Amino acid sequence: MTAQMFFIGFFGIAAIWFGVVVFRTFSMVRSALALLFSQTALGAMFLTMQAEFLGVLQIMMMATEMSIMAIFMVMFMMDPGGMGTMDMTHQKKLSLWAGFVSFVGGVAIAVFVDWGPIAAIAPGAAQQTVDLGLELLGRSMLIFEMAGLTILTAMIAATAISIQPLKKKSQ
Amino acid sequence: MSIELVLALTTGAALFGVGIYGALSQTNLVMIMMGVELILAGAMVNLVAFWRFLHPETAAGQMFVLIVMTVMAIEMAVGFGVAIARFRSRGSVEMEEAVELKG
Amino acid sequence: MTTLIVVILLIFGSYLVAVLENWVNNGKFRLTAPLFAAMAMLGRESILSHKPDRLFFEVAPALLLISALLAAATIPLTPNLIIADLATGALFINAALVYVLVALLMAGWGPNGAYAMIGGWRFLGQLMAYAMLVVMPITAVVMRAESLFTTEIVVSQAELWNIVYQPLGFVLFFIASLALCFLPPFDLPTAEGELAGGVEAEYSGVRLAVFRFGRLTLIITLSAAIVVFYLGGWQGPLLPPWAWTAIKILTVTAAMLITGQLMPRVREAHLLSWGWKLGIPLALLNILIVGILVLVFPT
Repeated sequence: MTAQMFFIGFFGIAAIWFGVVVFRTFSMVRSALALLFSQTALGAMFLTMQAEFLGVLQIMMMATEMSIMAIFMVMFMMDPGGMGTMDMTHQKKLSLWAGFVSFVGGVAIAVFVDWGPIAAIAPGAAQQTVDLGLELLGRSMLIFEMAGLTILTAMIAATAISIQPLKKKSQ
Repeated sequence: MSIELVLALTTGAALFGVGIYGALSQTNLVMIMMGVELILAGAMVNLVAFWRFLHPETAAGQMFVLIVMTVMAIEMAVGFGVAIARFRSRGSVEMEEAVELKG
Repeated sequence: MTTLIVVILLIFGSYLVAVLENWVNNGKFRLTAPLFAAMAMLGRESILSHKPDRLFFEVAPALLLISALLAAATIPLTPNLIIADLATGALFINAALVYVLVALLMAGWGPNGAYAMIGGWRFLGQLMAYAMLVVMPITAVVMRAESLFTTEIVVSQAELWNIVYQPLGFVLFFIASLALCFLPPFDLPTAEGELAGGVEAEYSGVRLAVFRFGRLTLIITLSAAIVVFYLGGWQGPLLPPWAWTAIKILTVTAAMLITGQLMPRVREAHLLSWGWKLGIPLALLNILIVGILVLVFPT
C-alpha cells in the first residue's frame, strides 16, 4: 500500500463523493461549489500522479469556472438557497441505468484489458514543463493554433449571443 | 497490472457514470452542463492515468489533457451565452419547457 | 522546521501590516492596537444570522486563511527559507490565490444576509476583471527566468530587477494585487459606509478575527509575491538576505496601503471595462515586449 496508491484512492473517492453531492443537494450554490471541490480533488489526483503542471492548472482554472457557474445558477434557477424540496429531474430510471451501465463498462475495461508494461518513473516536473512547451510549439503547433482560434470564436460567439441589442431611437 | 492504474481508471469511470446520470436526468440547462463537466473530468483523469502509467515520456498525453480543459472552458462559455439568450426570450432555462421545435 | 519559521514570520508580518493599516487609515501609530483589538474580538459573542448556510458560514474564514498560507508556501523569503520549492511555483501562487474568491463567495452566501451576498458577488465581478492581469505579468516574468521555480525567478533578476525590465507588468500586477486582497480603492466586498461592511458584516467574534487575520496574511503574501517577481527577492548590497526581504515587503505593503488613500472606490462595472479593454491589451503588449527583449538580449 504505497503512498501514491492511498492518495489516488483518497482523492478519487473525494472527487466521486463531491460529484454525487452535486446532484443530491437542494441548494444550488452548494451544488456548484461541490462541483468545484470535486474538480479540486481531481487536480490533487493529477499532482499525486506527478503531472504537476496539469494538476496546478486544473486547480486554478476550475475554481474560477465553477464560481462563474455558481452565479449563473443563482441567476437562472428557481431555488438557489435550497430551502425547498422540489425534485427537478425527469427520466430518472433511464438516466440511472445509463450511468450504471457506463460505470460498469468502464470498470470492466479497466480491470480486464492487459495494459502492457507499467512505467515506474516519470520525468521530473521541471523537465515535464519543458517537454510540454516544446511539444505544444513543435509537433502539435497546428492543434495549439486551432485551439486558440476556437477560443477566440467561442468568445465572439458568446459575446454576440449575450449582449442586448441597442434600442433604436425612433427618429 | 498496477493497482494505481486500476484505481485511477475506476475513478474516471465513476465520474463518467455520475456525469451521464446528471446530464440525462436534470431538467435545468445549468445542471445539465454540470453533468457534462463531470463527464469531461472523468475523461481527463483517464488520460492522465494513461500518460503516467503507460507513456510518461511522451508529452503529447499532457497536451491532450490541455485540449480537453480548453474544450471544457469553451463549452461552458458558449453554453452560458445560450442560456442567457434563452432566459431573455422565455424567462426560464428549463428543458421541459423547450418544446417549440417538437414535431 | 522551515514551515514553522515561515508561519511565525507570516504572523509577525501580519501584525505589522495591521499596525501599518491603522497608521495609514487613522493617522495613529500604536504598536499594541492590533493585539488589544484581537483580544476584544476573540472575547466577543459570536452572533449568528437567521438561517445561515452553516457549512459556508464556518468554512469561509478558514478557507481565506488557508489559501493565503498555501500561496505563501512557494514564496522564498531567503535562498533557503521556502516551504515547498515546487517546480511550478509561480503558477501555484496563482492557483492558491483563486481560492480567496471561493472563500469570499462562501462568506457572502453563507450568512443569508443581503449586504453580505452583494459583497460576495461583487468580488466575483471584480475578479473577472483582473484575473488575467495576475496571470499575464507572471507569464512575462517567467519568460525572462525561463523557469517556473520561484527561486530561479529571483536569481534571474541578479543584474536588473524586473521592475525596470518590465515596468508595465509591474504596474498591472500591483493593481491586480490591490484588487485581489480587496484593499481600497477596490474594497467593494467589504465596503464600509456603502454595504455596511459587506462580506464582513455578518461575522463577529472568533470568525471575524480569523477573517481579518486571513486578510492580513493575504496582503503580506501578495506583497511577498510582488517582491519575488519584480523587486529581486532577497538580493541587495550590504544587509543579509532576510533583512532585504523584510524591508522590501514592508515597503511594498506601505505602498499598497497608501495607494488606497489616493483614489475613490472603483465600481466593478468600471473595473471590468478598464480591465478588459485597457488592461488585457497592455498585458499582452508587455508579454510581446518581454519576448522581444529576451530574444534580443539573451543572458
